[in-house]
Amino acid sequence: MAFLAQLGEQTDELVDAIVGIPESDQETRNIFREAVLRLLRNHTYLRTNQFEVEDRLKGLEERFRVIGRDALADAFHKRLEAYEPHHNKFTPDVFHFLLELADQPAQNTQLTA
Amino acid sequence: MADRTEKQAAAQQAVDILHEISTLLNCHLDRRTLSICISMIENGVNPEALAEVVKELRNEGQNMQLEAAAAAAGASSRRR
Repeated sequence: MAFLAQLGEQTDELVDAIVGIPESDQETRNIFREAVLRLLRNHTYLRTNQFEVEDRLKGLEERFRVIGRDALADAFHKRLEAYEPHHNKFTPDVFHFLLELADQPAQNTQLTA
Repeated sequence: MADRTEKQAAAQQAVDILHEISTLLNCHLDRRTLSICISMIENGVNPEALAEVVKELRNEGQNMQLEAAAAAAGASSRRR
């Protein structure tokens, strides 16, 4: 029960952070909340394969270098190394999530000073 | 007490690094959204399903903005 309550709270926060429905519009907020909870509960995705995630991360770094974006590859490598001490059992899942949301980084990522 | 502060600082630092990685991957995530998503993953939510939810919410948010803009434009043209 505590798990569901916490998930419900986090779902509200997520909807608020991305869609930004005003608090006065409780009806729309509830519709979004239920839709998100349904998607999170009734999915058919497999569990994260940590080795596949590692391969995808390495592959991305390599791809950056192949297309001549060495600065991006270096920055990416540096951050991955910096994250090493914070590695825990959820790390592959978090990286999996980021990889799913990655939007053509080789072409579109702009490095700022 | 000091131990707790240290743990909090480490957690902050971890989120900072993940945010930098998300920026390098062009994930279009702000720090707040990323923190919420990390908490959800640590609570057992499937990362692929969560990514799908984020994409759906972004689409819905864009649609709502377009509808609101269209409604505002319609209202101002009626007033003229």
